[in-house]
This record gives sequence, structure tokens and C-alpha cells, in this order.
Amino acid sequence: MRLVVRTFSELCLTVGTLIVLFVVYVLYWTGVQAGIAGAAQIDTLQREWAATPVPAAPGPSPARVRPPYVPGRGIAVMYVPRLGREWKWPVLEGTGTGVLKKGLGHYAATGRLGETGNFAVAGHRRTYGDPFKDFPRLRPGDAVVLTDGTTWFTYRIDRGPHRTVPGDVAVVDPVPGKSRFDGPGRYLTLTTCDPEWGSSHRLVVWAHLDATQPVTDGRPQALDS
Amino acid sequence: MYGWIWRHLPGNAWVRALLSIVLVLAVVYVLFQYVFPWAEPLLPFNDVTVDGQ
Repeated sequence: MRLVVRTFSELCLTVGTLIVLFVVYVLYWTGVQAGIAGAAQIDTLQREWAATPVPAAPGPSPARVRPPYVPGRGIAVMYVPRLGREWKWPVLEGTGTGVLKKGLGHYAATGRLGETGNFAVAGHRRTYGDPFKDFPRLRPGDAVVLTDGTTWFTYRIDRGPHRTVPGDVAVVDPVPGKSRFDGPGRYLTLTTCDPEWGSSHRLVVWAHLDATQPVTDGRPQALDS
Repeated sequence: MYGWIWRHLPGNAWVRALLSIVLVLAVVYVLFQYVFPWAEPLLPFNDVTVDGQ
């Protein structure tokens, strides 16, 4: 009898400790790892950009061939002043679980950064650094700034945050559904989950390309306003 | 269970205590490195894309 009680209480203790450890892992450790991985991705991108010098001719050069996106590799660095002055995350190609552990993920089937079409990006609301924790605070007019090493792209949010269901794939279409955009353009879509710790819905914002400038002209004003 | 482990550890009380700490750290390491990364995607925090699934 005593053995049964003892074994049972030991089991309860073990399960309790396991649960506490798992909560620590989810709330804290994933954030530490994502912070390290994200910073490493940004480092890698900046080293690559430093190795390929910016063309001397100012302004966007349409003749320049941009390399295709490689799954799991960095594409750009994103800044969203509304989410914090220090807020910056790498955007990687693909939206798989492994990719989203290191930063934001670009939907592989959607458009390229700064080009006609819809550059759609997904990110964690919670865990793995909580990149889109404050997503509901985004408002029309907010800047979403990205750089690919040669150009700064400043997008302005037009609509959102819009709450939808996970099956609503039209929100990342080239002309996103429900966005009220009425024709082809250079768009950007951000998606994350809603509610904060759930997965029953998605939050979406849409933006259009407002301005571009070569990196040689310095940081865009939107970053410091 | 824990009593059984304690009795089967070699050495005196100090050595056993040290070995216990090493065992606990090893278990935590395995959990954080292998078990939790496997279990975490089963929870809904990863579903941030629209994909119709």
C-alpha cells in the first residue's frame, strides 16, 4: 500500500515538473533560440550584401537580375516602427515550421519583394520571439520597411488588421481578396494567428509599396519617424 | 522510483548527490533538445499561415 502511494505521488511530482519545464520551454526558451537564430540570419544576410557591392548607378536598375529565392534562406530584413524601434526580423523563404523558428516566412507561391504582385509574409504571434505579438496595434498608414541589401522598400498599410479563417487563402492572392485593392499592384500581406495563443483564426494586414530608395541614400525616413 | 535510483547509484552520499544532479541535467537537456521541440508543433502556436489546412 505504502509503495503504491509513494509511486503515485512520485509520478504526480514528475508530471508536474515536466509541465513546468515545458511551459518554460515554450514561453522563454523558444524566444531565446529565435532571437539567436534571427540575429544570425540577419548577420548572414548583411555579410552576403557586403560581399556583393551595390551597383554604382543610383536608382533601381531594372536590368539587374535578382537571384531566385532559395527555400529556408534569408530574403530581406523587415522593420515595423509601430511594433517597436528595435523591432527587426529576417524574412526567410518558405513558411514551414523550421523556417518560422528563425524569423518571418515568405509564402513561396507569392510575389517577390518590391515587384508587382503580393509579397506575403507570415510570422509567429506567440512563442519563438513573439514577432507579431502586437499585430492588432497595426493601423492604416503604418510603415512596413524592408531591405534586400540594395534597396529600401517602404510599404504603407491600407487595411487591417482583418480577422479571417485559416482557409481564406485568397488574402495572399496577387490582388488580395477583401483588401479592396482593385487592380494589380505592388502589395504586401502580413499574416499571423488569432487569438494570441490559438489557431482558430488569422489576422491579416495589407499594404502597398509607397516608396523605394537605394541603400546608398541611407535609411528611409519612415524608420525614424 | 527515485528511491530505487538513489539506492542503485554507486559511492557515498556526496557522490550519489553529484550523480543525481548530472542525471537531472541530462534529462533536462534531452527534454529541451529533443522532446519539447517535437511536442511543441503539436500545439496551435505554429499555425500562422493561411493554407486551407
